[in-house]
Amino acid sequence: MTAGTTIQKTDAELGLARQFDETRANLPGNDWVREQREEAIRTFARLGLPHRRVEAWKYTDLRSMLKDAKTPADADLNSVTDAELYQALGADLHGLGAHHIVFVDGVYDEENSFIIGDEAGLVHMTSLAETLNNPPEWFKSNFNKVNPRQDDHVGTLNTAFMRDGAVIEIVKDARLKRPVHLIFISSSKSAEAITERHFIHVAQGASATILESYVHLRAPDTQRNSVTELKLETGAKVNHIKFQHEGAKASHLSNWMVSIGENANYRGFQLTIGAKVSRNTINVNFHGSHSQADISGVALLWDEQHSDTTMDIVHGVPNTLSRELFKTVLDDRGRAGFQGKLVVKPDAQKTDAKQMAHGMLLSETAEFDAKPELEIYADDVVCGHGATSGQLDEDMMFYMRQRGMSMDTVQTLLILAFVGEAFELIEDEDIRAAFTKMAEAWLGGKSDE
Amino acid sequence: MLKIENLHATVGGSQILRGISLEIPNGEVHAIMGPNGSGKSTLSYVLSGRDGYEVTQGTATLNGINLLDLEVDERAAAGVFLAFQYPHEIPGVATFIFLRHALNSVRKARGDEELSTPDFMRLVKGKAAELGVKDEILKRPLNVGFSGGEKKRMEILQMAILEPSLCILDETDSGLDIDALKTVSQGVNALRSPDRSMLVITHYQRLLDYIVPDKVHVLSKGKIRHSGGKELALELEKSGYAEFVDEDAA
Ligand SMILES: Nc1ncnc2c1ncn2[C@@H]1O[C@H](COP(=O)(O)OP(=O)(O)O)[C@@H](O)[C@H]1O
Ligand SMILES: [Mg+2]
Repeated sequence: MTAGTTIQKTDAELGLARQFDETRANLPGNDWVREQREEAIRTFARLGLPHRRVEAWKYTDLRSMLKDAKTPADADLNSVTDAELYQALGADLHGLGAHHIVFVDGVYDEENSFIIGDEAGLVHMTSLAETLNNPPEWFKSNFNKVNPRQDDHVGTLNTAFMRDGAVIEIVKDARLKRPVHLIFISSSKSAEAITERHFIHVAQGASATILESYVHLRAPDTQRNSVTELKLETGAKVNHIKFQHEGAKASHLSNWMVSIGENANYRGFQLTIGAKVSRNTINVNFHGSHSQADISGVALLWDEQHSDTTMDIVHGVPNTLSRELFKTVLDDRGRAGFQGKLVVKPDAQKTDAKQMAHGMLLSETAEFDAKPELEIYADDVVCGHGATSGQLDEDMMFYMRQRGMSMDTVQTLLILAFVGEAFELIEDEDIRAAFTKMAEAWLGGKSDE
Repeated sequence: MLKIENLHATVGGSQILRGISLEIPNGEVHAIMGPNGSGKSTLSYVLSGRDGYEVTQGTATLNGINLLDLEVDERAAAGVFLAFQYPHEIPGVATFIFLRHALNSVRKARGDEELSTPDFMRLVKGKAAELGVKDEILKRPLNVGFSGGEKKRMEILQMAILEPSLCILDETDSGLDIDALKTVSQGVNALRSPDRSMLVITHYQRLLDYIVPDKVHVLSKGKIRHSGGKELALELEKSGYAEFVDEDAA
């Protein structure tokens, strides 16, 4: 064998190329969209699936993890009942009094979706499939614009295969009281690949809470590739929250691309509980001064779960602030990686950026890796980062057990305290309470083992 | 009644306790005094069951129950309470939540029903007022950012709530000003009772002016070298430990 540069394509890579050929005729979109897809699949043919030597994928060797490419889900709607939604979401998230926008196996479910009357004029929603067939100018000029990593392997797959999603407009100066709840439910018994893409435009002075819930009914080993492009105009405020509870064998590839305008305030949060493999990419670009981003998350992992959070925060203009706080609890052979890249461009004076990632290991075989990456080209800035990985504190445990608490109680209290620091950053009290209960249930499930 | 016989223990491989024998009948308060490093805290950890403190010989029972067989929380349920020399900070756990879990855990283990939240709040607020602990502090994470005095009061508050049958106080006087020392001592004295024994560990005689002991023992190099009445504390204060511990030179 010679030391050639051609890498053998994997079964999954070959499968993806073949599936594109088979399904492209059935994917929605006009000529412009088709061109985007063709270009994306060509790029993918060149890049292949990302592997460890690609810096952004250091902790997730997707090339070896993705053994095969599941068949793309088709455009037929697998209907679910509201009772099934309730079952998959749980009473708390189902009962938020939110607007519901429901997708079943990647397809928009109009039956179960509703914008509640009192805010009907403030939120507009169109399905992506419909938008792609006749994309307006704003869509074309904003499409795929927020991603600072040029070689976005998984993003190209999303563009090639995207079938449906939510295109949402929060109108100028709207102050939504009800969350907009995007519910993605996998119902299918067969393994399927689901590719979704969402565009959320929050107009000037508007504020909203947008919750994305990824849940499952049965336990299909869905392969999901989901991209959310979110744009905050001047003075907009968004609480953007994700709840990921996919099936135990599923893979979940998610990419948030957020563009922040002047005086805007973005608060992101991600709770990761499900999926065998999950990758949360978060790209944030500041386009306007005096804006801020607070991004945090909690991941609770056990068994052989693998989760990776990789962020790119790009400060491109002066006077912006970013904060990240991520907490990961790992049991059994759970593994998690965190990469936080902070870029401060030459013009971005007075940037204030801080980033923290903490892992708590409940077993000897769990692993948490964190890697900060700072690229700072401006001098008048404050940037900080930190990462820790450790076990529960022995001294604290002794103190609490001396007060009569069982090992289970002590662990529960200390772990809830650990993740609580991140949950506290969620402004919506109902969502915060619902997530806290889920963490309690997760811990309860552990002690039932 | 606490009954310790010929207790030997190692920490990190070194022999620290070298044959302690001690009986504290119910209703009595015994003081243990001794130089730094003599093994006072070690004794408190061995009795409460801390990991890494290994008993190599001897016994310790509380009202006939073999403490050395029990887990840390089981000992607490059996009535052992240790007021720590350096109480730990528990970030993220509000004091009243900590207290409620502690109380309900020992109540459950002792076969009592859990207290309802209103009953619990009444109990805690009442005892807190007696000890000069402000209500606001109960909302804060336990011991986080508390002053030295607040931490020690909080230890005594926990003791009052959990109603142990053996109270071990490890240098509860350290870091307290005279007013705090008085309130804390009052709190401890209020807990003296015919069915409770107390072991008060201190380096200085001062505390024993306020918590007057029935007996005083001098600990040095892991062994009780001398025992006497409350007047022994005053003698120690005047002449220092040397006179009482020279036996270990033999
Ligand atoms: N973890 C440990 N490993 C080894 N030696 C220890 C450890 N902890 C305490 N010691 C030693 O045990 C002896 C008694 O300590 P301690 O019980 O804290 O004394 P006191 O409370 O009387 O000041 C000291 O010599 C101390 O250095
Ligand atoms: Mg000590």
